[in-house]
Amino acid sequence: MDLVSILSVGLNPTILGTVLVCTLYGAFIGSMPGLTATMAVALLVPFTWFMDPVQAAAAIVATTTTAIFAGDISGALLKIPGTPASAAYVEDSYRLAQSGQPRTTLFTALFASVAGGVIGVVILVVATPQLADLSRQFSSDEVFWLATLGLSCAVFVGGPSVPRNFASLFIGLAIATIGIDVAVGHPRYTFGNLELYDGVSFIPAMIGLFALSELLRNAALGKEANLARLTVEPLWGAVRAAGAEFRRRWVNVLRSASGGTVIGALPGAGADIAAWIAYAVSRRFSRQPEAYGKGHIEGVVDGGAANNAAVAGAWTPALVFGIPGDSVTAIAIGVLMMKGLTPGPGIFTSDPVLVSTIFGSFLLANILMLLTGGLAVSLATQVLRVPRAVLMPLILLLALIGGYAITGSVLAIWIILVLGLLATGMTWASIPLAPAILGIVLGQIVEDNFMVSMMKAQGDLTEFFARDVAAVLGGLTVLIWAALLIRAGLTIYKGPEDFRRKEDKNDRSQQT
Amino acid sequence: MTGRRDILAGAALIALALAMIWGARGFPSIRAMAYGPDLFPNIIAGGLILSALGIFLEAFRGAAPGPDHEGPDRRGALSFVGIVLLVVGFAVFLPILGFHVAAALTLMLSTRIFGGSWMLATILAVSGSVILHYIFYSFLRVVLPWGVLAPVAW
Repeated sequence: MDLVSILSVGLNPTILGTVLVCTLYGAFIGSMPGLTATMAVALLVPFTWFMDPVQAAAAIVATTTTAIFAGDISGALLKIPGTPASAAYVEDSYRLAQSGQPRTTLFTALFASVAGGVIGVVILVVATPQLADLSRQFSSDEVFWLATLGLSCAVFVGGPSVPRNFASLFIGLAIATIGIDVAVGHPRYTFGNLELYDGVSFIPAMIGLFALSELLRNAALGKEANLARLTVEPLWGAVRAAGAEFRRRWVNVLRSASGGTVIGALPGAGADIAAWIAYAVSRRFSRQPEAYGKGHIEGVVDGGAANNAAVAGAWTPALVFGIPGDSVTAIAIGVLMMKGLTPGPGIFTSDPVLVSTIFGSFLLANILMLLTGGLAVSLATQVLRVPRAVLMPLILLLALIGGYAITGSVLAIWIILVLGLLATGMTWASIPLAPAILGIVLGQIVEDNFMVSMMKAQGDLTEFFARDVAAVLGGLTVLIWAALLIRAGLTIYKGPEDFRRKEDKNDRSQQT
Repeated sequence: MTGRRDILAGAALIALALAMIWGARGFPSIRAMAYGPDLFPNIIAGGLILSALGIFLEAFRGAAPGPDHEGPDRRGALSFVGIVLLVVGFAVFLPILGFHVAAALTLMLSTRIFGGSWMLATILAVSGSVILHYIFYSFLRVVLPWGVLAPVAW
């Protein structure tokens, strides 16, 4: 894979058209309060079913990249983050918008997001082939530990309550057990329904967990957003002012984009956690820490750069190991697997076109985002006036018919409903969704590789630590479990006061 | 409030775990293998029970995270139930009425649930179902059921 093949993605009219349409779509959904980037991707997935794998990956990448930025728009104008990734700096962006600089703020956020995204892609392009070379030596032992490590990381960063994060993971793993088992080919929990023999269909599951649950929440709690009267600056003046602000803050962009990429690569830690951490680091190193939260642009730049860089970072473990970095890459892995492609080190040699297209699409999406994101910022006040009564019914029907289109069976609609209600219940009980998604995607990988290793070792569990890399990965996993147990024990032992402090620090991850 | 919520959540997790263990009892085992299809379901069920116990302990010690938002008001609760019933209705009536009628009804009723007028609901029902028909049936070639409109299908 070389630079030319990555850059030539922009010359492919199909990919170019797909990326352009999807950046517009991502900008629209992301800017809508309460409609997340994951929901945008979940609704897009039925359409990717009808695309070839390369085009499907490009569509997912472009949608996510723009939706994460566009979340800033409703955050700045309505104080309702369009996606959880914009929540970290919403107070600043809103106050800046109220002070008569909505466009300058949003264009500054756009430039920071584009730069963050591009830096994230550069790191992705450089790091993934090296990691892939390393992981080519992996046997079922290492893959088992890697998947388990990924799941453990998801529990670690899932939210402030360890038992709830574990509950989420086990719910996901429980869903993954449905279907024919790998050991003897026996159907598990299928209730005689032949359609469940292949497991719970992935696309309806994602639509239920992310689209229907958000619709139900919106129906129960949502209110029509009130767009206050704003003083809007002239377009070109705002672009020039934002450009000047961006040039002044390039060190912040570099720092937060690199940090955001690394955080994004941790399974379960998505763009929102990257933004919160970047915001906190930015405040720590700022000359005006007291201005944060009161309408200071520095935090917006750092958070915006970090969350878009994290989108690229999340693809690193997804491509190299087949371990999703966040919910969106979990969906992307599911889509690729449905199309007969298994992400992992082999994909770099078996399907280099797919890999270079993903890299190229990221680059293209970030560049096109200057145009489509700029358009969204320019039309923001009109876009945000689309009434809920128009948008939500269309999304509901799109979700239902999208799920049905994949399987041609009404069972898909029942799956959407059951998992939508499950996700609503989990949110109500403060159980995060991300570990469950990783459990659904990785459950079978964990079980398959465990069984293969057990057969090789004839039941000897110590063989899981016999190879060097497996021993390191296994040791890391055990360390994380120990840390989780200590954290859970301390939280429960110290009681409410300690928890409140920790919750204040961590409640951003709960907002997912 | 949080305590009752956590007891309910923990109980639901334990119920799910017990159902998994009960379901796994019928899975066959092979003598040559120490691990069969019931291994992972049982491990997962054990994990669910431990998680539930952790949630109970958190609730008991007052260390549980609070809800993200206030509960819905009466209108919100009715809207929630309305959307759930609409999805159930869509699943039941899609094969009988066909895509177009089921989609139009779903759009019309959901528009009303989300606070739209009858006029808006009617416009959205007709235009939305026609647009989605073209996207899925004509463009993506998805076989959508025609139901009662089968005599006029094209």
